[in-house]
Amino acid sequence: MEFETDFWRDAAERKSWDAIVPGEPRETVPYVLTLEAIQKYCRAVGDMHPLYFDEEYAKESVYGGLIAPPSIHILLMFSCTPTTDWMRSPGTINAGQSWTYNIPARPGDTISLQARALDKFIKRDRLFVIHDNVFFNQHGEVICSGRGWTIRPN
Amino acid sequence: MNDLFSAIDVGSRVEGSQFAVTRETIREFCDASLDYNPLHLDDEYMKGSFGRTQFGGIIMHGMTNFGLITRMITDWAHEWGAIQRRLETRWLIPVKPGDTIQPFATVKSMKTTDESRWAVLEIEVLNQGGEKVAQGEAQVEFPVREAA
Repeated sequence: MEFETDFWRDAAERKSWDAIVPGEPRETVPYVLTLEAIQKYCRAVGDMHPLYFDEEYAKESVYGGLIAPPSIHILLMFSCTPTTDWMRSPGTINAGQSWTYNIPARPGDTISLQARALDKFIKRDRLFVIHDNVFFNQHGEVICSGRGWTIRPN
Repeated sequence: MNDLFSAIDVGSRVEGSQFAVTRETIREFCDASLDYNPLHLDDEYMKGSFGRTQFGGIIMHGMTNFGLITRMITDWAHEWGAIQRRLETRWLIPVKPGDTIQPFATVKSMKTTDESRWAVLEIEVLNQGGEKVAQGEAQVEFPVREAA
């Protein structure tokens, strides 16, 4: 399925700040992470480490094969959520993040996401939502877990 | 392996690569991250105001900072068999096409726990004018044995 790049589409179906319920799970979709997607992400930030590109090098490393960089969750966030997810609302401003890393994602992994809002509040006239995200591989192992602060457009 | 933990000290510095931000690099990041928020694409939209904030044009994804910081830390860590275990970031100033940014890290503290060894790094990303556009903190683990 083609990824919908028009973030205005389905905008009306997305939850506003008022409708977001902290604690309520967000709808998510599993995603197969390809080597191509990993390398495209790496190139966009100029990260050409052989652990992501050189199969022979990676095989000899402690990882025993190619992996994705820790920050691959940047891509996974939008890969594992449907077009109606409020993280796509145009004007959503990312105010900060914290992530912890357990094991690397690997090419071919089927990634799933458990996500929810944890808190919402008004500060300095702005509407904030704190969200919690945990990515798992197909074996149910945690890849990484993160918390983000967003300022909501409405 | 793992010599780095004994080699580094509080105050040790790590320098990341410079990254020149253009409309093309921002677009490339949209395609790579699937984050097509109009903040990064639509100049007309960005003429508007966002609560109390006005940007005046498209801005780089904050998460590009996150990716560049990760690249700096993992380049440093991989070489020594160490592992990036945590990264926390906050964006301070929007980054725009034409800016050049560069991440830096300083070892702030080191700790040995029951099973491993850790360094806490203070992170900053500076623009070409020396302004801090992002700041954060990272934790790197130096396993006693090699870990997968």
